[in-house]
Amino acid sequence: MVLKPQSPDAGSRTLSGTRPGAVWYSTLLTTRVPSEAQLPDHLHSLPQCNASCFNVHYHPGESSKKRKPKVIRSDGAPAEGKRTRSDTEQEGKYYSEEAEVDLRDPGRDYELYKYTCQELQRLMAEIQDLKSRGGKDAAVEIEDRRIQSCVHFMTLKKLNRLAHIRLKKGRDQTHEAKQKVDAYHLQLQNLLYEVMHLQKEITKCLEFKSKHEEIDLVSLEEFYKEAPPDISKAEVTMGDPHQQTLARLDWELEQRKRLAEKYRECLSNKEKILKEIEVKKEYLSSLQPRLNSIMQASLPVQEYLFMPFDQAHKQYETARHLPPPLYVLFVQATAYGQACDKMLSVAIEGSVDEAKALFKPPEDSQDDESDSDAEEEQTTKRRRPTLGVQLDDKRKEMLKRHPLSVLLDLKCKDDSVLHLTFYYLMNLNIMTVKARVTTATELITPISAGDLLSPDSVLSCLYPGDHGKKTPNPANQYQFDKVGILTLRDYVLDLGHPYLWVQKLGGLHFPKEQPQHTVITDHSLSASHMETTMKLLKTRVQSRLALHKQFASLEHGIVPVTSDCHYLFPAKVVSRLVKWVTIAHEDYTELHFTKDIVEAGLAGDTNLYYMALVERGTAKLQAAVVLNPGYSSIPPIFQLCLNWKGEKTNNNDDNIRAMESEVNVCYKELCGPRPGHQLLTNQLQRLCVLLDVYLETESHDDSVEGPKEFPQEKMCLRLFRGPSRIKPFKYNHPQGFFSHR
Amino acid sequence: MERAAQQAVPLGQMEVFQALQRLHMTIFSQSVSPCGKFLAAGNNYGQIAIFSLSAALSSEAKEESKKPMVTFQAHDGPVYSMVSTDRHLLSAGDGEVKAWLWAEILKKGCKELWRRQPPYRTSLEVPEINALLLVLKENLLILAGGDCQLHAMDLETGTFMWALRGHTDYIHCLALRERSPEVLSGGEDGAVRLWDLRTAKEVQTIEVYKHEECSRPHNGRWIGCLATDSDWMVCGGGPALTLWHLRSSTPTTVFPMRAPQKHVTFYQDLILSAGQGRCVNQWQLSGELKAQVPGSSPGLLSLSLNQQPAAPECKVLTAAGNSCRVDVFTNLGYRAFSLSF
Repeated sequence: MVLKPQSPDAGSRTLSGTRPGAVWYSTLLTTRVPSEAQLPDHLHSLPQCNASCFNVHYHPGESSKKRKPKVIRSDGAPAEGKRTRSDTEQEGKYYSEEAEVDLRDPGRDYELYKYTCQELQRLMAEIQDLKSRGGKDAAVEIEDRRIQSCVHFMTLKKLNRLAHIRLKKGRDQTHEAKQKVDAYHLQLQNLLYEVMHLQKEITKCLEFKSKHEEIDLVSLEEFYKEAPPDISKAEVTMGDPHQQTLARLDWELEQRKRLAEKYRECLSNKEKILKEIEVKKEYLSSLQPRLNSIMQASLPVQEYLFMPFDQAHKQYETARHLPPPLYVLFVQATAYGQACDKMLSVAIEGSVDEAKALFKPPEDSQDDESDSDAEEEQTTKRRRPTLGVQLDDKRKEMLKRHPLSVLLDLKCKDDSVLHLTFYYLMNLNIMTVKARVTTATELITPISAGDLLSPDSVLSCLYPGDHGKKTPNPANQYQFDKVGILTLRDYVLDLGHPYLWVQKLGGLHFPKEQPQHTVITDHSLSASHMETTMKLLKTRVQSRLALHKQFASLEHGIVPVTSDCHYLFPAKVVSRLVKWVTIAHEDYTELHFTKDIVEAGLAGDTNLYYMALVERGTAKLQAAVVLNPGYSSIPPIFQLCLNWKGEKTNNNDDNIRAMESEVNVCYKELCGPRPGHQLLTNQLQRLCVLLDVYLETESHDDSVEGPKEFPQEKMCLRLFRGPSRIKPFKYNHPQGFFSHR
Repeated sequence: MERAAQQAVPLGQMEVFQALQRLHMTIFSQSVSPCGKFLAAGNNYGQIAIFSLSAALSSEAKEESKKPMVTFQAHDGPVYSMVSTDRHLLSAGDGEVKAWLWAEILKKGCKELWRRQPPYRTSLEVPEINALLLVLKENLLILAGGDCQLHAMDLETGTFMWALRGHTDYIHCLALRERSPEVLSGGEDGAVRLWDLRTAKEVQTIEVYKHEECSRPHNGRWIGCLATDSDWMVCGGGPALTLWHLRSSTPTTVFPMRAPQKHVTFYQDLILSAGQGRCVNQWQLSGELKAQVPGSSPGLLSLSLNQQPAAPECKVLTAAGNSCRVDVFTNLGYRAFSLSF
């Protein structure tokens, strides 16, 4: 601990030149060396290794240059700094070595340091020399040298302290300078930020958009041309775009003001005209009753003079009391009857007085009156407090018919007449029809023909799907809900059928999906449907009557083939029709061999269903027939089931399938003379022929003894053809042989 | 389709007629295009419909993709048979064979490429063509049907080279024995005849109905279907479906199926057959019924295995018959869906 290893390195950093000087001795000697006891505690605890490490560095043989970097790197460096700090604190109490530092020249200190080191080296060498010689006086000499070297050590210590102080000072200065620089830097940053902010403000200002830019101003030339000079101020605004824009805006304002003024003027003008119109209207409406009274007055004159339009006029007079749809129907039917069909007669039935009670004179717009009237009535009745029968009354009220109805008599060629009575249901705003057929000669009604001419079904499905059991007016459903009517179906027998075509004849058009659409009567709609509907009605009646006749014979097992259809069949037909009965729709769907037809959607409940039985010997052929109301444009559909050597249907026998296809698909060749009402008869006769062919061509089982049950009588080119082994079902007329299709 | 029709009750004249036509439709023949993605089906009205198998089998298949892409009137009578060469679709039925280019068939108003009629002797009724058979090695098309003869047509020139006579009634079906170029024909007369193509002579006759094991007199003698894999032949129809060893011409297995079979084919180590009844039957060679897969038609007339290597994703079995539907079996276990006319 005696040796202070730090001193030389501190000194070596600051020293620049070398010059030993004796002057320094004195000052050096006066400097006080702090005793060990005064040293701070931490120095005592300096690790031993440090000391030894420095010992090595101070070996006389070592050069100062080599020593320097090693010391810097050594662990002693931090200890050094701490020590100096505590030194300065303590020494400040006694004297100011710091002040001394300022006075001394570091270069000189370095010189002194070098010199001291050299002296020390020399003295050590001498001591070693003396010791090795080992003379008697050597002890004294050594003592002398030791003292000298001690002095030198003191010097070194002093130098070390000074070096430390200098170092600290240097650091402080650097620190101070750095702080100054930092302050400046901060200032700079602030300024930069301010600059940036200002720049942003500037751009914001530059980007400012004024409201006037959105206004579509008149073009510049127009502005200068049209604006008065006190607004345009050409001399000022020509050069200054700002002033120019302001002036243009002024002009715009001025113009707008003027236009607003004009608008107000126009409005008042319009008001005035409206008032005029009102006055004129009043005048006109007051004119009408006067004219009417003149007409009324002239009527007796007309009657007196037997004017030719008298009868028609009367009817028209009554017609004026008809509700709009019936009126449309009446007008169109009369027109059609006059123009195209002399066999059509139109009449009006019912009490005119009742109708008059319902409606005001027809001068007023009929449409509105009828509707509002009906509604008024409804509401007054609803107020009536009879609780028990209230709902029933309501229903009756809902389904109330107009007292007047239109009667149409459609005469066919064979003197049969179709009587159609059209009604108008006021509250439901739909039309219904009741049909009745009368024939010239009394008909024997066959049992199976019961439904054919019944008022309920005779007009069913005149147009595809129009079965007339549902109200065509979607709004009615809501009305029904109120009074608890589930569907109109239960009332059609009483009220008549609301077929779609009836609505169309009455000019009522109901959109399919908008329930509350206002319905207006339309003449053109009625006119466009009149002709086709009348024709359809006629063919319907004729086809029904034809069927009616056919059924009468069919029930007796006679297939009434007319003479003009004989060429379709061979002369000899062995199979016989034995049964023709009507069956219910449910029974039809439950038959096991009609599944295909039901699945294909061809067995709707509007069709009529029959069962035919054709027999030959032990073979029994059942035929389930679907008769579409659209007969004969839509053919009856046959499904077959043959009971002969097991049950055969289209599922297990290709030939049965082929027979079905022969009557169902190839029906067009069986229609006979137009309009083809003989189709059903011909189909049944064809079925008998087919059964003959089927049975006669059935391959004979060689293993069974005895003759064939059905010997082949028909002439066939071939028995089977094609992968399905179809039999020759096609009859070739003049030659009379059978071939494949 | 059925459901939609049930809802639409109001039907007009046209709709009823179309519904009846569909109801009475029979699909006689099928053929897969050379690319394997299309299926042609011919019906009793002489129409051919082209279905896209790839569209119907794709994951985003809709109802429309199960409808034909094109339907055209090909013949006046039923289309009994169809085959595909690498470019053409050949269809036959009413005595004529017509060729259609597969490449143009999907276009509207496609006209036939050519049509040929074999030299018939009768004139009163035009004999039908029940079966077509391609012999690719010799570039021959063999036609057989109503006139009890096999006609060979050179596909190169379109000329009829020779006719083989021997059947006493009309011919139902043909099969090719690849190894030795021989053709087998089965007919209404109950005989299966083997013809040598090189010499154009009959080499063997098997009168199936005369063998007690398989004869069924109540069903008739006719042979409705025929298939061969050179050593073995399977045939059925009036007589029971039977596996025959050809060299010894003896029946080895009689398959226990009561309904007459209309189509039979070898598939891997199975025999597939179809006929009267809803099912496609799968048989082991030993005679065991391996499976019966129900289809949607009451009776089946043709099976078609799409094994075109060009479209492995369309590898399906299709079956058609007495309905307007072609059943598609993506595997042999069940009917996946039906294509419909």
